[in-house]
Amino acid sequence: MNLYEFEGRELLEKHGIIIPVGEVVRRGDNIADAYRKLGLEEVVVKAQVLSGKRGKNNGIKFCSNLEEVEKAVDEIFNMSICGQYVASILLTEKINIESENYLSITYDTNKKQPVLVFSSEGGMDIEDVAEDKIYKKLLDIREKELAGNLELPAEFLETAKSLWNCFLSEDTRLVEINPLVKTTSGEIMALDAKVALDDDAFYRHNKEAQERAKEKGLDSGTITDWDLFESRTMLCRPATEREIAVQEIDKGEKYYQGTAGKYIELEGDIALILNGGGASIANMDALKKVGLEPANYTEYSGNPPREKVYALTKIVLSKPGIKGLWMCGVVANFTNVEETFKGIVDALDEIKPTYPIVVRRAGPHDKDGMKLLEDCAKRNNLNIKIFGKETSMSDTAQVLADMINI
Amino acid sequence: MPILINKQTKVLVQGITGNEGEKAAKAMLDYGTNVVGGVRPGKGGEEVLGKPVFNTVAEAVEQFPDITTTAIYVPPFAAKAAILEDIDAGIPQINTIIERVPIRDTAYCLASAREKNIQIIGPSSLGYISPGIGRIGVVGGPKAQADEIFTPGSIGIISRSGGMTNEVSWQVRKAGLGQSTAVHVGGDLLMGTTYADLLKLFEKDEQTKAVIIFGEHGGSYEFEIVDLIKNKEYTKPLAIYIGGKFASTLPEGMNIGHAGAIVERGKGAVEKSQALSEVGVMIADRYEDLVELIKPYS
Repeated sequence: MNLYEFEGRELLEKHGIIIPVGEVVRRGDNIADAYRKLGLEEVVVKAQVLSGKRGKNNGIKFCSNLEEVEKAVDEIFNMSICGQYVASILLTEKINIESENYLSITYDTNKKQPVLVFSSEGGMDIEDVAEDKIYKKLLDIREKELAGNLELPAEFLETAKSLWNCFLSEDTRLVEINPLVKTTSGEIMALDAKVALDDDAFYRHNKEAQERAKEKGLDSGTITDWDLFESRTMLCRPATEREIAVQEIDKGEKYYQGTAGKYIELEGDIALILNGGGASIANMDALKKVGLEPANYTEYSGNPPREKVYALTKIVLSKPGIKGLWMCGVVANFTNVEETFKGIVDALDEIKPTYPIVVRRAGPHDKDGMKLLEDCAKRNNLNIKIFGKETSMSDTAQVLADMINI
Repeated sequence: MPILINKQTKVLVQGITGNEGEKAAKAMLDYGTNVVGGVRPGKGGEEVLGKPVFNTVAEAVEQFPDITTTAIYVPPFAAKAAILEDIDAGIPQINTIIERVPIRDTAYCLASAREKNIQIIGPSSLGYISPGIGRIGVVGGPKAQADEIFTPGSIGIISRSGGMTNEVSWQVRKAGLGQSTAVHVGGDLLMGTTYADLLKLFEKDEQTKAVIIFGEHGGSYEFEIVDLIKNKEYTKPLAIYIGGKFASTLPEGMNIGHAGAIVERGKGAVEKSQALSEVGVMIADRYEDLVELIKPYS
């Protein structure tokens, strides 16, 4: 999960990095109150989005009075930045800057270890900075304390150490400060924060983790509860009801038993229930190739129990305006096709769709699974075509297109 | 000779008393792989499928000092401890099927493994299969299905996706060809064993005449292949499909498909295909086309 700046900077502050004072404004909030609470004349008004270049897209404005702030907030709430919905706005203190720098820690996928990146040319996109102006240092994830052999200007060492603590203890995939400034009064301050959390580490950052810490006599207050972060999507809109509902499916004790919690709502009218992280991506491409547009991206994989697949199917089919359903999966290695199809059949029995349905699937217990589906089709008069492994996945996309275009 | 597995391979299954662990042990035994035993703390002394269960990896290694490979089936929060046990015990090859391992734990294990020259395949890897020789994990599924899909041959297969390892192998078989070894490398951001690592092994393997890769957008592992070919460390024919063309329309930083499939500037399906095409790799437009591209070299 990517964090908004206002969330990320609080994590930085928690680890001792100095940030400017600020106030978050949401749609419908009283802006005058927030401005007065800040108690400063000169402020920066910053759009809160999950990625993209706010500066270049007028998402950051400098204001000197309430009227200007209200105008800026209004403008920003009405823009989309690199295709993303502006969820909230951060008002912060305007800082007098002596120098702008760049500091980040992320994973180098080739070296498979974290890498620290520093540049004295901050404030711009790091990709646009000349290679010789960038300092990179591979770190060893097993080191709890950052070693002192970093070739950074001495004044940034403390910040780098704090950032390493933040990177490790908050289970992040990326922590980036751009710009990391030196103020005219000599303070080192983070004027932005880009943080990506590692969703797979969620169980170390929730109420249960806090309870476990308490039982061990540790300070549970140091554990951030990720469940308190608001739901989000990187698309140009708030997360939809369906997207939020699907996230619940993989929660709970058995979270790792199969994945059935993936749903991205899209503009098209073909409902998709795909299988496998890789095949689903290939099949999105295949669907577009035959001229159909997806209503959603969804895949389940591993060995999810019947209940998970049922919940997922119900949500996928609840979208209005669906013209067809494509359920397409590979020759499964170990997914129990019968068990997962039971969940699908449960949902089809309730919804009884009238639009064309194409199914392609194979794998363990596929004959029994297909039989369940065929019986379900008969009792509900479904307009359905079912294929096994003899027909390739892409070819069944064309079958669906033909059924719809008759 | 295939890669990663041979007739001397001796396998330990961690988490053998669990549902998935037992299923995997059975899948391996059914396929003729030598599973010597399993591990489950607190259940030492029991038996699963007639194989002894040990409390720790160290105990298992004491009994069977020639274990070559371990396959790990434990929940994600127990993954790090399980892998570190293997590294301490010096088991040379670790296959970890576990999905959703925190990246901090993966990086920790990879750093420790590298120091002792231990090979980790995964995380999130369903395993690998050398038709007629054996398999680690559950690639291919039940024996009858595995026999329909896999037969000894000259095509090496590497896939980021477990399902597509099977699917691509099936396309190969349908075209009348066979596989040398098919490897599911896993879809995580950090891969214990990469395309490049495996291509080097396939290069040396006489049985393998050509290789097929199912790749995807995000990460930079496909770019390592470019350097490998430029340095002539891999010289055999190679066909690749890179999924996720549609993802280029999504905002940067968004994650879709596998954990490693993040939308990143310059690392999309199109950019990867282009870079590989320039060094002579055959690019498939649809994954079904991979077989047609590779067939002349089989």
